[in-house]
Amino acid sequence: MQRVEFLIRRLLTSLIVLFGVSLVTFALARVVPSNPAALYIGPRARPEEIARVRHELGLDQPLPVQYIKYMEAVLHGDFGNSIATKRPVLEELKGRLPATLELLFTAMFLAVIVGVPLGVMSARWQGKAPDLVVRIGSIFGVSMPAFWLGLLLQILFFRHLHLLPLAGRVSSDLRFTHPIHVITGFYLIDTVITHNWVAFKDVLVHLILPALTLAAYPIGLIARMTRASMLEVMGQDYIRTARAYGLPDFLITYVLALKNAISPTLTVIGLTVAYSLTGAFFVEVIFNWPGLGLFTVHSLLSIDYPAIMGITLFGAAGYILINLAVDIVQAWIDPRVSLN
Amino acid sequence: MKLRKWYWLLAVLVALSLVGTACGGAATATPASTKAASAGQATEKPAATQAPAPTEVPTPEPTAAPRVLKVANTATITTWDPVKSFSTEAAYMANIYEQLLRINPPGSKERFTPLLAERWEHSNDGLVWTFYLRKGVKFHDGTPMNAEAVKASIEAAADHGGAAFIWAPLDHIEVVDDYTVKFYLKYAAPLDLIASSLYGAWIVSPKMLAAAANDKNYFETAAAKGIDGGTGPYMLQSYTPDQEILLTRYDDYWGGWHKGQFDKVLVKIVPEAVTQQQMLEGGEVDLVTRIPQENYEDFKKNPNYDVFIEPSFFNYVGFFNTLHPPLDNPKVRQALSYATPYDDIIKIGAYGLGTQSRGPVPQGVWPWSPDVKQYHYDLDKARQLLAEAGYPNGIERHLKLTYASENATEAAFAPLIKDAYAKIGVTVDIVPMLWNQQWALAKADPAAKDTQDIFLLLYWPTYSDAGTDNLWSMFHSSEKPFFNLSYWKNKDFDHLIEMAAHETVTDPKQAQKDYVDAMNLLVDQAPALFLFDTKAIFIVPKYIHGFKYNLNYPFVQYFFYQLTSEK
Amino acid sequence: MTTTETTVSQEEQLPRERPWQQVLRIIVRDPLSLTSAIIIVLFVLVAIFAYQIAPYPQEGAGRTNVSNTMLPPSAEHWFGTDRLGRDVLSRIIIGSRPALMVPMLVVLFAILIGAPLGAIAGYKGGWIDELIMRITDLFLAFPFLLLAMVITAVLGRGLTHAAIAMVISWWPWYTRLVRGVTISLKERAFVEASQAIGLRDSVIIWRHILPNTISPVLVQATVDMGTVVLAMGGLAFLGLGSQPPHPDWGLMISQGRSFILKQWWLSTFPGMAIFIVVLAFNLLGDALRDIFDPRQYQ
Repeated sequence: MQRVEFLIRRLLTSLIVLFGVSLVTFALARVVPSNPAALYIGPRARPEEIARVRHELGLDQPLPVQYIKYMEAVLHGDFGNSIATKRPVLEELKGRLPATLELLFTAMFLAVIVGVPLGVMSARWQGKAPDLVVRIGSIFGVSMPAFWLGLLLQILFFRHLHLLPLAGRVSSDLRFTHPIHVITGFYLIDTVITHNWVAFKDVLVHLILPALTLAAYPIGLIARMTRASMLEVMGQDYIRTARAYGLPDFLITYVLALKNAISPTLTVIGLTVAYSLTGAFFVEVIFNWPGLGLFTVHSLLSIDYPAIMGITLFGAAGYILINLAVDIVQAWIDPRVSLN
Repeated sequence: MKLRKWYWLLAVLVALSLVGTACGGAATATPASTKAASAGQATEKPAATQAPAPTEVPTPEPTAAPRVLKVANTATITTWDPVKSFSTEAAYMANIYEQLLRINPPGSKERFTPLLAERWEHSNDGLVWTFYLRKGVKFHDGTPMNAEAVKASIEAAADHGGAAFIWAPLDHIEVVDDYTVKFYLKYAAPLDLIASSLYGAWIVSPKMLAAAANDKNYFETAAAKGIDGGTGPYMLQSYTPDQEILLTRYDDYWGGWHKGQFDKVLVKIVPEAVTQQQMLEGGEVDLVTRIPQENYEDFKKNPNYDVFIEPSFFNYVGFFNTLHPPLDNPKVRQALSYATPYDDIIKIGAYGLGTQSRGPVPQGVWPWSPDVKQYHYDLDKARQLLAEAGYPNGIERHLKLTYASENATEAAFAPLIKDAYAKIGVTVDIVPMLWNQQWALAKADPAAKDTQDIFLLLYWPTYSDAGTDNLWSMFHSSEKPFFNLSYWKNKDFDHLIEMAAHETVTDPKQAQKDYVDAMNLLVDQAPALFLFDTKAIFIVPKYIHGFKYNLNYPFVQYFFYQLTSEK
Repeated sequence: MTTTETTVSQEEQLPRERPWQQVLRIIVRDPLSLTSAIIIVLFVLVAIFAYQIAPYPQEGAGRTNVSNTMLPPSAEHWFGTDRLGRDVLSRIIIGSRPALMVPMLVVLFAILIGAPLGAIAGYKGGWIDELIMRITDLFLAFPFLLLAMVITAVLGRGLTHAAIAMVISWWPWYTRLVRGVTISLKERAFVEASQAIGLRDSVIIWRHILPNTISPVLVQATVDMGTVVLAMGGLAFLGLGSQPPHPDWGLMISQGRSFILKQWWLSTFPGMAIFIVVLAFNLLGDALRDIFDPRQYQ
């Protein structure tokens, strides 16, 4: 019962917060002395045309009225049309989400399969060379500006080594020779499902640099977190007992200890996903990746306020939902955690 | 125990998100599969994919592999509506739609090329223009092109077009018969020039115009389905916003097709110059529209490419706010005009690709003349003039210079102006702003303290008459400034250009004389800095033939129909 | 970098030396933290004496030198010159001022706003606590950089607006942190004693609670410096921060981006500067956290 009450309370609070977010963003986006009507028609419009478009878009009405109209529409699933592309904001978001998610998932996958073993290694050989290397490497990863790392990788792998492409998600030639039949929006999956191996290789090759750039921070963080919790677990009694019994080192490290050390790491993984979302902004800009991040940056730079509102509401809603889910799960798993 | 719950949670989350995107993706996938099924009947152009779904071939290709031209362009689409179009999408409009006639590059044998009009004539007083239309032309949607269609298109443009103002001289249009149209004007104007305009002069299918009258987003939704209302050689096949545009050839184009021309044109929208260069060098595209400017030298040395450097329509102007003292004093403005380092600006801002302007009319466009004066960088003269104006020690008040932060060229040369003026005791504060904010500031309250003192602007005329365009828009007095961002009012100038505009059709020689007088008056009074006319650079691989830049159509780097490939 | 709720441990030890002396000793002993502390001090000195140190200070500030454009690194110009002929090294040196000073101010203001609010919320509890917590929830509901980007895009681009945006995005973290510490402190003997004596709430908060939050706040602030420098660099990179011709590391990286194929030095060196500064703050923050959090170990 307490849990249900908790759930309801959290849901209500989340809704209020979401509402507050919409209010704040709306106020911000409309306070600016820009000229959305001019953006709508283009740079050479005459004053009469601009006035006409202002009226069409409803921009000449008082702010509170505009806000109410906007929220009404939102509750019906209509986030308005992007001023730059003239298409529904929701469609834009839906269309670009898979590209960003594919990038994020690949980066997180890399981060986990690289970061966790590194952290384990580092704990296992604590104080010795591997530990030092991993500690330095992981703090490098956490301190590196994503927008700089991306450029460096481009210089190295594209300009000097000629190994990897500069930008983009897929080569434009492929459109005619081996077109990708889109099912989920995740090109890696789609090309595998349709046995389009040429395209698969091309997509993979284009994914490498952006995913690597985005993964640098999570790898560092996950390695550090794994190391820390491994060290904590390995100092415990039952580990010492297992060692005293002569169990092989490998078994102790990778099976016993890791199993119990993994839990806090999972929490960190959740947090880094959120952080990587913002990292994705920069990676998408540098690699011209057609995802949500690039769209956000363009919308912000041109003050395309329906798009900005849509993205912010979407992003905040997702954020709130994820936090809520994590909180609920934590409470469910660990009854010690206070529900307050 | 705990661990298993975590694994479950992760698995559920991952599964959910996959399902979620699969549902979203499936919704766009189904139209594709039904299209593929009905592909067999496609002799007309195939319907395009729904906009968000990326790369997809909707129909099986014809037996021969299509000849595809791949282009990287920075130009985005502001609108697909040919009536409202007034921005960079002209690059594509000019290949999909046609006007009645097209103006040829300067130095061509004929001044105009007939397009939808075969020939035309005008009365002696320039008030009645008659166009005889080409017969047998159909729009891409099958409706026939005739005088009614022309009337509907021009009336729509004059009524609510992005460039509606070009039709200001128009009184009414008369349909004489199916292939003859008469334009009645309120006052003499060069209607041939106007009808060849890049904006507001497209002839559009009347069926689509009627549909658009009820639905202001009609052309955007149509474009998402790959439908357009033009008569041009290429049709829109599919459009993915901010990513790519696919054009396919219109088999029934009245100009006919011959060997070597392209069946399809794939335009990738790439805002980054460096990415465009990579795509060109990697063979991913055949043509580009912008690469980092230093690197042009490398292409000049490369035997696989031809590099063309052409004059263009664009020029840079810096408006002085003549309502703000001391800029209300012509001597001060002249002094600043002498203090401006024109050559360095061209060298740094445009890598030497420009020529110093003579007034606001770019070279190659009516009514440019070599008789219009110029200022030259001369700090002593500048100081002397300042002293004469009463500012021997320079100007105490800081001058606020605004430019569009999107414009890398202005960002590059604005500091040069600042440094040069510092040498004569004038301090300039550089304030970059988004162009629509820069504009909003300039128009809000010109006399206000906060409004800019110097406004940097990249300008281009809407059609090839810089007398009624550049000179009028930028410097004719107006109560609510449109492009007159120096807020300058001069009756003599107004009178001269008004006369000249009327004489353009009836007495061109006199018109030119009057324009030259007007432009010299303008330069002398210096309400603005006339910086430079830009040049355009094109890199064309040797296997592509037929390229010829037409500076009358500034955003149209390539008319795809003219191009053929050896490959 | 997650916030850890640290409980302060110094007052429970019998101090044989003052806490900050202890901190210094530990830092000096550990080579990594020593190096990072030295790096930070060096950068701060460079920032303070920027105009004396830079080889071409005027160019660093923005003056153009049209005859020297795009020179590769050489003896006269260690880091080369940019498109307007300005010495890149000087630009980086002069740019260290906004790169370091502004994040310090941002963190400072975030603390000044957030900490008292957190203390009040934690101490008073009840509806004040609820209210403050909901407000922080509101701000924390935005994916952090997005809020800063929206504010900057909307207020207008420029360093000041970017800094304001960062302060607005950042203060809730300190509120949460201080609130947590306050709640755990509330139960302690010395607070109950102060209440029994009859001291006013505001005095208790000001004199007893806040001073004890200094160490966790300090640790967090050091770690945050790295994040804020990165974030402001990112904002500048997108064009939302300092505007030309001011020297700004993030802006320089962005301007050099079109030229990476040939003139690699334009983006590489400013990026290296950001990287080194952030690295130093992160290392130092790590060391401080190790010192102050007894649950962690060496």
